[in-house]
Amino acid sequence: MANDRLLPLPGQLPASDPSDEHRMLRQLVATFAAEELEPHAAASDHAGRLDLARLQRTGELGLLGVTVPLAAGGAGLDATAAVIIHHEFAKSDPGFTLAYLAHAILFVNNLHNAANEDQRERYLKPAIRGELVGAMGMTEPGAGTDVLGMQTTARRSGDDWILNGRKTFITNAPAADCFLIYAKVEGKITAFVVERECAGFGVGQPIEKMGMRAAPMAELVFEDCVIPASNLVGREGSGIEHMMRNLEIERLCLAAMSLGIAERCLAEMVFWARDRHAFGRPIAELGQIQRYVAESFARTEATRALVYAIAAQVGPEHRQRIGTDAAKLFAAPIGKEVADAAMQVMGGYGYCSEYPVERLFRDAKLLEIGGGTLESHQKNMTRDLIRALGPRG
Amino acid sequence: MKILVPLKRVPDPQTNIQVRPDGSGIVTDNVKFVINPFCEIAVEEALRLKEKQAESEVIVLSIGGKECQEQLRTALAMGADRAILVLAEVPVDPATAAAVIHKIIEQEQPMLVLAGKQSIDDDAGQTGQLVASMLDWPQATCASKIDISADGGEITVMREVDGGLESLAFALPGLVTTDLRLNEPRYASLPGIMKARKKEMREVPLAELGLGATEKVKMVAITAPTKRQAGKKVESVAELVSLLHTEAKII
Repeated sequence: MANDRLLPLPGQLPASDPSDEHRMLRQLVATFAAEELEPHAAASDHAGRLDLARLQRTGELGLLGVTVPLAAGGAGLDATAAVIIHHEFAKSDPGFTLAYLAHAILFVNNLHNAANEDQRERYLKPAIRGELVGAMGMTEPGAGTDVLGMQTTARRSGDDWILNGRKTFITNAPAADCFLIYAKVEGKITAFVVERECAGFGVGQPIEKMGMRAAPMAELVFEDCVIPASNLVGREGSGIEHMMRNLEIERLCLAAMSLGIAERCLAEMVFWARDRHAFGRPIAELGQIQRYVAESFARTEATRALVYAIAAQVGPEHRQRIGTDAAKLFAAPIGKEVADAAMQVMGGYGYCSEYPVERLFRDAKLLEIGGGTLESHQKNMTRDLIRALGPRG
Repeated sequence: MKILVPLKRVPDPQTNIQVRPDGSGIVTDNVKFVINPFCEIAVEEALRLKEKQAESEVIVLSIGGKECQEQLRTALAMGADRAILVLAEVPVDPATAAAVIHKIIEQEQPMLVLAGKQSIDDDAGQTGQLVASMLDWPQATCASKIDISADGGEITVMREVDGGLESLAFALPGLVTTDLRLNEPRYASLPGIMKARKKEMREVPLAELGLGATEKVKMVAITAPTKRQAGKKVESVAELVSLLHTEAKII
């Protein structure tokens, strides 16, 4: 399906795919996005619906275990591969991409890193095949950026764990079969797998929201929720370690989504500037339009360079906390601002749902909040820098 | 059954093609290259035949520079078993391509050669037919449906011809070229991509096949199509007739 708004613009930095596998992966996901995501994106957004059929398709194509080693049923690829997928998908459908991220990164990648063999067999393999939908629960009504302030607790009772508390803004919750949940055991953050059918577990109504509507979210309620002892992930108190490591690749993939949004909006804006006439000439000849186009191009290219450079530094053995914070801190406002610029260039048409910029603009805002607010990145980065420097003298 | 699929590296049909100012070819900087769509249909059909026929092997073949590895690797990721790249630094016209494919058929002895009916870059539409004639093999061009008998000995090919469908059957070995509606090629899945790395890709210099510059066609120059002029709106039928007479001079 030819859509020249999905192709690179002349002069954009070429895709720096480090291997043949990455190059072919990009070809696969770009084709999939153009042919199978693009045609459904507006309708899914309008309906506020997770496109389960499409999520299962990503499972058939082997994309749900991209970062999981081959031996465990995944593709054995790296953070750059995850970035390629989120980048290309987000050009067409950021909402679907967020649902994909909640499953493939927040649930699958995180669970793989922390789970034992039995848990991998029970949950990971079917999740990679797309037979069950996963989600992750960290944020609570009273604890967002202040994640360590979470109130959900777990206590041991014979062969079971009893969970109590609430989680909110949980992407994929309305459709998910199993959840990776963080709760405190005697004050220490610990991870558990909770199945939807567990006694004492409930999922609220989908929460209405501005954008990313193709990734519905809901609240989770635990009222003496009983889960078997075998669903403890890792060790008691080891949750914080898994959580922090997973947050790095999550931030990077979210930054890649902002890049995809910026790139798509840039293309929409450039074609519009060329084709739309006002005052007897193409609006591309007007200085005010040129400023939007040129600044958006420069910002998008800078985002691409940063996101892929940081991606090359992230892996199971390499921590890159400040870099991933920086990538998302930089990329998220650019996604939003380039979408805004595209809407301004397109005027009334840009504001209407007939064109994708209106949807992308709404989606872009989430990335300044979800997976870490801009303020949380600022806080963490400054703290990390000061700590790394040590005291003066 | 052994199936050989020759495939060509061509510019992505979605790319905006720019002609070089000196007319010596097209601008290839920043142009994405893909498997020629008709060749990709041939790869897909070979894979479907392989899924139906036990003990089958699909070999893909390309001719050109090292960069053709990319397209062969994609075909391996789709599911082909192994690849042969004939390294040629000379321009490859249909006669050269047919001579190379002929040599590889002699080496590999496939029962079936599945080729695209034409490549979307120079649209010659000759290679398959040339190969069949060099081998004195039966052939069917522009296949819209292919069936192979249970014993693998006979092939039936449906062709979309003016006014209906034509069905041809012949005993293998033979050659078939593929048309657009034969199938919809699968994506190279991520597990397929990861497996492709371990599959064999044999590189053969053109000279090793005893072939040199065999081309019969020389590309003289490429020019872009002339730009279509804007149309003109007329007020009445009378004015139209008058303009067709005085301006267009066709009535």
